[in-house]
Amino acid sequence: MQPIQDYARSITRRHFFGQAGVGIGAAALSSLMTGQTAQASGGLPGLPHFAPKAKRAIYLFMAGAPSQIDLLDHKPKLNELFDKDLPDSIRQGQRLTTMTSGQARFPLAPSKFKFQQHGDSGAWVSELLPHTAKMVDDLAIVRSVNTEAINHDPAITYICTGHQLPGRASLGAWLSYGLGSMNDDLPSFVVMTPSWTGRKDAQALYNRLWGAGFLQSKYQGVSLRSKGDPVLYLSNPPGVSSQLRRRMLDRLAKYNERTFVSLGDPETEARIDQYEMAFRMQTSVPDLTDISNEPQHILDMYGPDATKPGTFAASCLLARRMAERDVRFVQIFHRGWDQHGNIGGDLPDQARDIDQPCFALIQDLKRRGLLDDTLVIWGGEFGRTCYCQGKLTRENYGRDHHPRCFSVWMAGGGIKGGVVHGQTDDFSYNITENPVHINDLNATILQCLGIDHKRLSYRVQGLDITLTGVLEQAPVKAILA
Amino acid sequence: MPHKPGESELIARITSDDPDLVMPPPDASKRLTAGEIELFRRWVEQGAQWEDHWSLVVPVRAELPKVKQSDWVENPIDQFVLARLEKEGLHPGPRADKETLIRRVTFDLTGLPPTLAEIDAFLADDSPEAYEKLVSRLLESERYGEHMARFWLDAARYGDTHGLHLDNYREMWPYRDWVVNAFNANMPYDQFTIEQLAGDLLPNPTLEQIVATGFNRAHVTTSEGGSIAEEVYTRNVVDRVVTTGTVYMGLTLDCTRCHDHKFDPITMHDFYAMFAMFNSLDGNPLDGNKKDPAPVVKVPSDAQKKQLADFDAQIAQIEKQLREPWSEVDPLQQTWETELLAALKTAEAETAEVKSSALTLGDWYAVGPFTDTKNYLFSRKHGPEGKPIKLDQEFTIGGGGKGKWVRHAEWTDGKPHQGLPGEVAANFLYRSITSPAAQKITVSFGSDDALKVFLNGKQVLAKNVSRGVAADQDVIELALKKGENHLLLKVINHGGATGFYFALKSVEASLPKEVVAAIRVPAAERNAEQQQQLRDHFRNKVSDSKLLKAAQAALAKARGGRSAVDRQIPTTLIFRETKEPKDSFFLRRGEYDQKGDKVARGTPVALPPMDPEWPVNRLGFAKWLVDRKHPLTARVAVNRFWLQMFGVGIVKTAEDFGSQGSPPSHPELLDWLAVQFIEDGWDIKETMKRLVLSATYRQSSRITPEMFERDPENRLYARGPRFRLDAEMIRDQALAVSGLLVNKVGGPSVKPPQPDGLWFSVGYSGSNTVRFVADQGDKVHRRTLYTFVKRTSPPPQMSTFDGPSREACAVRRERTNTPLQALLLFNDPQFVEAARALAARTLHEGGPTDNAKAAMMFRLCTGRHPTDQEVLEMVQAVHEDRAAFEKDIPTAVALVSGKKTADKKDTAKKDAATPAPNSEHAAELAAWTVAASVMLNMDEVITKN
Repeated sequence: MQPIQDYARSITRRHFFGQAGVGIGAAALSSLMTGQTAQASGGLPGLPHFAPKAKRAIYLFMAGAPSQIDLLDHKPKLNELFDKDLPDSIRQGQRLTTMTSGQARFPLAPSKFKFQQHGDSGAWVSELLPHTAKMVDDLAIVRSVNTEAINHDPAITYICTGHQLPGRASLGAWLSYGLGSMNDDLPSFVVMTPSWTGRKDAQALYNRLWGAGFLQSKYQGVSLRSKGDPVLYLSNPPGVSSQLRRRMLDRLAKYNERTFVSLGDPETEARIDQYEMAFRMQTSVPDLTDISNEPQHILDMYGPDATKPGTFAASCLLARRMAERDVRFVQIFHRGWDQHGNIGGDLPDQARDIDQPCFALIQDLKRRGLLDDTLVIWGGEFGRTCYCQGKLTRENYGRDHHPRCFSVWMAGGGIKGGVVHGQTDDFSYNITENPVHINDLNATILQCLGIDHKRLSYRVQGLDITLTGVLEQAPVKAILA
Repeated sequence: MPHKPGESELIARITSDDPDLVMPPPDASKRLTAGEIELFRRWVEQGAQWEDHWSLVVPVRAELPKVKQSDWVENPIDQFVLARLEKEGLHPGPRADKETLIRRVTFDLTGLPPTLAEIDAFLADDSPEAYEKLVSRLLESERYGEHMARFWLDAARYGDTHGLHLDNYREMWPYRDWVVNAFNANMPYDQFTIEQLAGDLLPNPTLEQIVATGFNRAHVTTSEGGSIAEEVYTRNVVDRVVTTGTVYMGLTLDCTRCHDHKFDPITMHDFYAMFAMFNSLDGNPLDGNKKDPAPVVKVPSDAQKKQLADFDAQIAQIEKQLREPWSEVDPLQQTWETELLAALKTAEAETAEVKSSALTLGDWYAVGPFTDTKNYLFSRKHGPEGKPIKLDQEFTIGGGGKGKWVRHAEWTDGKPHQGLPGEVAANFLYRSITSPAAQKITVSFGSDDALKVFLNGKQVLAKNVSRGVAADQDVIELALKKGENHLLLKVINHGGATGFYFALKSVEASLPKEVVAAIRVPAAERNAEQQQQLRDHFRNKVSDSKLLKAAQAALAKARGGRSAVDRQIPTTLIFRETKEPKDSFFLRRGEYDQKGDKVARGTPVALPPMDPEWPVNRLGFAKWLVDRKHPLTARVAVNRFWLQMFGVGIVKTAEDFGSQGSPPSHPELLDWLAVQFIEDGWDIKETMKRLVLSATYRQSSRITPEMFERDPENRLYARGPRFRLDAEMIRDQALAVSGLLVNKVGGPSVKPPQPDGLWFSVGYSGSNTVRFVADQGDKVHRRTLYTFVKRTSPPPQMSTFDGPSREACAVRRERTNTPLQALLLFNDPQFVEAARALAARTLHEGGPTDNAKAAMMFRLCTGRHPTDQEVLEMVQAVHEDRAAFEKDIPTAVALVSGKKTADKKDTAKKDAATPAPNSEHAAELAAWTVAASVMLNMDEVITKN
């Protein structure tokens, strides 16, 4: 019997669970530490706020801003207006980036790619996304997403953390903080940054996009890397076998128990648990990333890149394996979408990178019954202009940043499939119907996961900060199942 | 309506049933509970006394409270703490033992563990002043300033990259070193504040005072393509205002950017009045992705200052020699003067062109005619135009024919030459001009028809004309370099005859006017200036005396050396005011493009006003902050020092002293410390000393379950502080106890190894920090304070242990406990290396027996003597592992060399490990390395006890 330890443990638990948000700082409830039975642990009391439709989410983030006009927002009228000027009545004095604000004119650039309607919903999809086109009846396509930011760093920081400047918690950190983890042996928030095949000069990412901001650092996303250790410092150093590591941990635990007996600090006990969890991760992470048991037909479904580590396809496959293991939130940042020029050359490559894997991921989840409670989101940080940046021909052109409208799709838990929501004008410049601000989008994501976005907050410098900001935002009911 | 809740409008409103009257209004997200309403009612009943928020009232020194257990008290801090404990019916804990105490205080004042010698000396010192002497010694250590600096650098959001978009390198480490030095010099906090906020506005500011202003430049910046400068400017200024508010005043000014503060008496007007203080930076708000976006200042090291001074002395000495009479050279000058005077006279007399005796003109060469290309006038394809002249080169000139350079020694200068070949054609003419010195000469051309002239490959004349050749059609100046110059003419003929003309103009034309004037004055009558002009001209431009050449070469070398040193001098970002202050405007909703009325500079109205004597600028603002009537500055500062020592501030929300922050646990103590701090002349070391000398600080950190339940965060201080070491301390300790630590203060940031690809996986491909290259040698073992912080991908040794990314101001860190920390401490090659070095050190210094070795390693890491049981366990473990390694030497070698065994060499890990010992000792070293690694992971070791 260890009465002191047991007592302190019970105190600790009571302390953590009783005063979460206040006293949670002391301790053992990392985003990594939770029940093995898909019973969330480590989250806040009272969460989820209501029965969630999705238990987990996978966010396929197209960093750099994909061109909605060439992918999902079909604008046939632009064909007649090739090289005509963007009417002032459409631009309405909208501020432009200084990359094109000095252009003498804003010639309209119709998409060179063919669009067709697909599925029962009749959604228009570009020829660049043939696989996505096959599954439109599973998707809710939102064509009216908008933001205020017009440059990448502020815009991507905004959509990922709810604020244009660094310092806030990311979506995944909020989920870990609020909902806790469902897997004892894996991080609850995992990030992947795969390779891309478009223009090599890609927009940067920033650790803050999956950072914890003002929340404790244990809520930050853990990068799953394709080279070296999949999780930082996962493997033992040369000369240390798993057996030896076990012996080391046992000795360490003995010392630490003794420290605990003499000083009585519950942090010491928590630390012993963390070391055990680290040891388990040394098995669970390699097990996660080892795809040698995936059958060929599954690999084929994800396409030829599936077996190439570090590709978007391989990342999607891993995302599915994480969904199976109840990792709460997986975010894949695919770069290279910033086509100021050479859309004709680069966009098909970028689309090829992601189209088949996205399709495969949805099918794979569906087949395993996981799509019902897994939310999948696809989108970037803003849209691109209908007018050309640089040289315009029918075959090639560039597009500048456009915050006023862009397209996103969602699928899975909580989402109504086969819906096309929101309407833009003939130029894909202004929204004419059902605008969805990026904060609405985030509110929708939270809603699917059982969170009232207004009630998940954290006090920082006197402000109750939420992911979705202070203005009135609402989940998009029309796309909710 | 004090005492009359029935008549109170307030109570009526909060209890109303009428949706139009009730407060908060029905659509507000928050409601008052019945309990809260009752509280209001009782407050009105009791007189509705209203007091300003505690932190906005100037602190006064509270009376020291009476205590019962007065023999426990070491200084006034304890009296406040004990009074509270006694009120709660609690007793202070026992004093920590000396081994615990020296480790605790050494970490708290220097960020490092004590050495064995330091521990032994302290244990051996039985005098009553032993502890105080120890504290004084620690405060004098340079390590103190390094340790104190890193807390400040979190607050000042110091980093080594811009932090946004490209996230390129930004050079600011001289500011970091300024902070270290300021703490080490115990600069008073008021001065520390004034120099950082307004060092540039002080009278005759020193370089250091200017460097200090980097505080307001440390915020993140961008130069993302497409950025709107005005928007970025606004963001930069907002960051300065908000950070200054948080760091100095514990105010949450960010809210007031868009609206008056909902809870604290700070208005939007206050915000933009402060905005006006910090907005007039004399530089582009976009950083240009440069390491040194203006304004910056050069900060030479002492060595560089000396090098510069040495070069300056050398340069001055040679320049003096070149100015003064020189017996070997002066006769030559006289000869030159005589000849020149004669030549000038001849020239005047004959009004003819004269060859400068100083120039050597080579013979003319010509090649042509180039006839094939229709547009030959503009074609650069066929001839030697734009290419180095090679006199043996063969050209395709016309009709498939070949042409070579042909020498024309017969072409004398000063008369037109007809008869170049070709009707519609271009001919090229070339000659060399050798000059003893760089100089300008005047030459004259004529041509039939058009003419282009190139000097040393550079076009100096282009005349697209139709004309017959004559003298002096184009007179131009040629800037000759010293030595051989290449003069190339392209003569283009549109039809008929073609020819050219060339002449040097008068010698006079090639001489500076003042030299000509001077030489015409008879030698005896020349004034000093004229003498000097002639001497300078002769020595620098004319003479080829070896002595002079040598002196000039030495001068050039010294100047070159100086500028090479100068280029190496680091720069640092500073604040410098524009000549005229920029206007500040009320920005609606905080948006940069929603300008309202102009707002004048000022300070928040709810705080005491600025003294009219002070300038209304950053300097006045800084003086206002550290005026003793300011209620916040001293409180906020001492609270942070307390937080450093005790893990939680007296005000837990160190960043928020407003009504939404947490109230102080010991308000009188906080005020006493604040007043004392001011009265000590803002003496930081004195304050730190006071904190660590208190009995409160010196208590044992042992917790009983009862006490833990009663006071889990130790806000009552019935025990000493105990919490996990910060990121920097954990790494620094591993380096220190293993003997790897390199104690060098200051200098550029360093890059100890980190896993491959961390920067690359996020970085912009064009960024100059997209690829991480680890440093080597001493640099990888510097204190963590000096580790390079790329803000969009901070070093994992920092971020895994709650180190902030330095993108935004952070005045306190969280402390988490995660498996990723366990993985890092066990497996990071730097920690493995430290374990190996600690093992090697133990084997080397630990004495003859394994027991002695184990005891030493244990003491190095924990600061205390182990029990027999602990020694026994470690030795048993070492023996067990050693036996296993002896059966598997390659594995032992892998551990002690840091390299995987041969069959897995492709994934070998690199580190700066000690070289692999021979295999006989490998098992021994490996076994002790394992023991060391376990030690470095122990809770007791990574915790301040």
